[in-house]
Amino acid sequence: MSARKPSVPEPAAIAVKARPASAPAATPGTAPGQERRRAPRIPETPPVPTPAARLDDYEPVIGKPELDELRFLGSGLTGKTAKMVNSTAVGGGVAEILNRLVPLMNELGVRTKWEVITGGNDFFEVTKGFHNALHGAAYDLTKDALEIFTMYNEQNRQRMEFGEDLVVIHDPQPAGLVRSKQASHARWIWRCHIDLSTPHPGLWDFLRPLVEQYDAAIFSSPSFTRQLSIPQYLFYPCIDPLSEKNKELEESYLGKIADDFGIDRSRPILTQISRFDRLKDPVGVVEAYKLVKKYVDCQLVLAGGGASDDPEGAVVLEEVRQAAGDDPDVILLNLPPWCALEINALQRISTVVVQKSLKEGFGLTVSEALWKSKPVIAGAVGGIPTQVVHKLTGMLVHSVEGCAYQLRYLLTHPEFAQQLGKNGREHVKENFLITTNLKRWLVLFQIMLGVTQPRGTA
Amino acid sequence: MATTLPTTVGVRKAGTPFYFNSESHLTRIGRERATNLVELLEGLKSCPDASIFYHTFQTLREHHYLRAGFSNDFAQWVFAACNEVGLAERLAVVDVRDFTSIPEIRSRIVGAVESYLKANPASGTRPAFEPFYFCASDTVVTPTPFVANTLEEFAECLQQAGLHSIHHHFISSRLRPPVTRNDFSTWLEAELGLTALAARLNRIDIYTSTLSDVRRKIVQLVQQEITRSTP
Repeated sequence: MSARKPSVPEPAAIAVKARPASAPAATPGTAPGQERRRAPRIPETPPVPTPAARLDDYEPVIGKPELDELRFLGSGLTGKTAKMVNSTAVGGGVAEILNRLVPLMNELGVRTKWEVITGGNDFFEVTKGFHNALHGAAYDLTKDALEIFTMYNEQNRQRMEFGEDLVVIHDPQPAGLVRSKQASHARWIWRCHIDLSTPHPGLWDFLRPLVEQYDAAIFSSPSFTRQLSIPQYLFYPCIDPLSEKNKELEESYLGKIADDFGIDRSRPILTQISRFDRLKDPVGVVEAYKLVKKYVDCQLVLAGGGASDDPEGAVVLEEVRQAAGDDPDVILLNLPPWCALEINALQRISTVVVQKSLKEGFGLTVSEALWKSKPVIAGAVGGIPTQVVHKLTGMLVHSVEGCAYQLRYLLTHPEFAQQLGKNGREHVKENFLITTNLKRWLVLFQIMLGVTQPRGTA
Repeated sequence: MATTLPTTVGVRKAGTPFYFNSESHLTRIGRERATNLVELLEGLKSCPDASIFYHTFQTLREHHYLRAGFSNDFAQWVFAACNEVGLAERLAVVDVRDFTSIPEIRSRIVGAVESYLKANPASGTRPAFEPFYFCASDTVVTPTPFVANTLEEFAECLQQAGLHSIHHHFISSRLRPPVTRNDFSTWLEAELGLTALAARLNRIDIYTSTLSDVRRKIVQLVQQEITRSTP
C-alpha cells in the first residue's frame, strides 16, 4: 500500500513552533526538536477521493465469519428497499457515514437510496440554531423559526416520495417528513446523531410529537437519549478501517511525516488530535505535559484544525502557544481538513494519545486512536467512557493532574500501555467499525420488517 | 469373513449433526438509569430480565477480548464510576455459570448491593462519575455454513467459526431452556457419548480467558481426545 504523496511542495498548513522565532534553521544531521523545525509539507488541496471499499475488502479486517454473517443478514432482506434522508451531501459525520454505508447496503441486496433535503439559507440558519439549542445552548425560540422549519419540511415532503419499505430520517432537520408516514407503507426510523440530554425545553416540546410518530429512534449513546414512547436503539458512531484516516500506512510514510513535522521518534510522543477549541482543553493538555516533562523526556503534538477558519480557534491556538512557552518539544499543527493521511500517521507514531475533552459528542478520534492500538487517556465525558473502559481499553481522567499522572504511568509501564492498546483495538473492532454499524442496520431492518423475531434474553 | 474395525472417536458419526449458529444483537436503551448506588439497586429490582441478561451475559461477548479485570457491567460501573472497590469485587465474582435463570442472577446481585449498602450507608447516595444506563438486547440467531458430523469435523468447525458463534454456543446457551450448560458439552455427551470430554469443556473458565483463548482450549481438548482414541 503506498502513501499519498504531497502534491504541493510548499507548506500550506501552519506549524506553530513553541520556540523563539530566532531559533536557528535545521541543518542536516541535527536531531529533530533540537533545532528550528522546517515548515511541514502539506497539500494545499484535497486529495482525489479513493474509490469506496467493497464488502470483500473488509475480509482481512473482520474475518470471513463476520462477513458471512453480514451476507446472511442481507439475504433476508433481498428485494427490500430503504431510503436514508439527511440535510447535507458533503461535510459532517452523517454524510461521511452514509457515503460508505449506502453502497454497502446495496451490495448486500438492500436497495437503498440516499436523499438530501433542500432549503434556503433561512432554513439552515434556523436548523443551526436548533442544533445548538438541542445541545443545551441558550436560544431564543421564535414563532418565525418554527414556521420556517415547518415550511421547508413541508416543501420537501411534497417533493419526495416514500415508497420504500424503510425510511430512515437522520437528525432533526428533516424530522418533519414523518408527516408522510400515514400515506406510506414504510416503517419509519429516526436516527438522532446529536446529544439530546439537555435540550432547549420549548424546542423539544415542539420536536417530541414529531419524533414519537416514528416507529423507533436510534441514539449514539444512552446518555444522549430522552424518555420516549417509542423503542430506542443504540447505534454507536463508527470509523471506517479502510478510510484514509484509518488504513494501514507504510513505515516509510510514518517516517516522512515525523520528519516533515520535526517529531523525534526516538523519544515518547504524546498527541492530541482535535480542533483548537476550549472544550477539547488543549491548554490543559499542555499543563499535563509540563507535569510529565519533569520526569520523562517527551514531546507533545497538538494537531487539528479550526484556527484558520474560526476566529475563536485562532484565539485558542494563541492561548495554547502562550501556555507552551518556548518549549521546542511542544509541536502545534493547525492542519487543513483534508489531512486525513497525516492525522492517521500522527496517531500511528504516537506513544500515547490524549483526548482530554471537557465536553464531547461521541469523540470518534478516540476510536481512531484505539484502532491503531494506541493507549489512550481521555476525559470521562460524552461518548468517551463508552470507548474507553477505564483501565481496560484506556484510562479515563477528570483533571489535568489525573491526566499527567496517567501519562507518567503509561510512559513508565509500556507493557500495560501496550495491553491497553491491544484491548482498545479489539473493543473498536467489536463495536465501532462501519461493518458493525452495517450489521446493526441489517438486524434493525429485519426486526422492523418482521423478517425475524428477535429473542429478548437468551 | 470381513472384520469390522473399531471406529475411532474422531470419525464416529453423530446421530444428529452439530449446526453452528451465530448471534447478531441490537442494543435497546432501557428506561432505568442510576446516578448512585441506591438508584442502581432500584433499577436492579425493576429492570426487565433482558437487562440483567444484557449486563451479565451479553457484556461478556462485547468484552470477549479481555483476559482479566472484567466480569459484568454492574461490577465495572461500581468500580470505575462509583469507586466502591469492595462492592465491585463482590459483584465481579458473580459467575453466570452458577445460575440457571435470570431471576437467580438478579437476586444474587441485588443481595450483594443491599448488604453492601447496609454496611456502608454513606455510599448509597454518593454521586457516580457517570450514570449507569440499563440496556437490553434484541438477538437474531444466524446460521453459519459449519456443520459437524464427527469429532474431527467438530474440531475443524470450531477453528473456523466466528467468535460470536463460540459465545452463542458456549456462554449464552447456558440460559437457553431446557439446557443449563454449554451446547458443545451437551452435543458431545448426547451424540458421541463423550461424557468426560463434555465435563472438561464445561470447566473452562470464561472469566480469565478471552473468547479466543476459550476456543483454543476447546479445540485443544477435542484434539487430545481424538489423539487419545486413535490406534
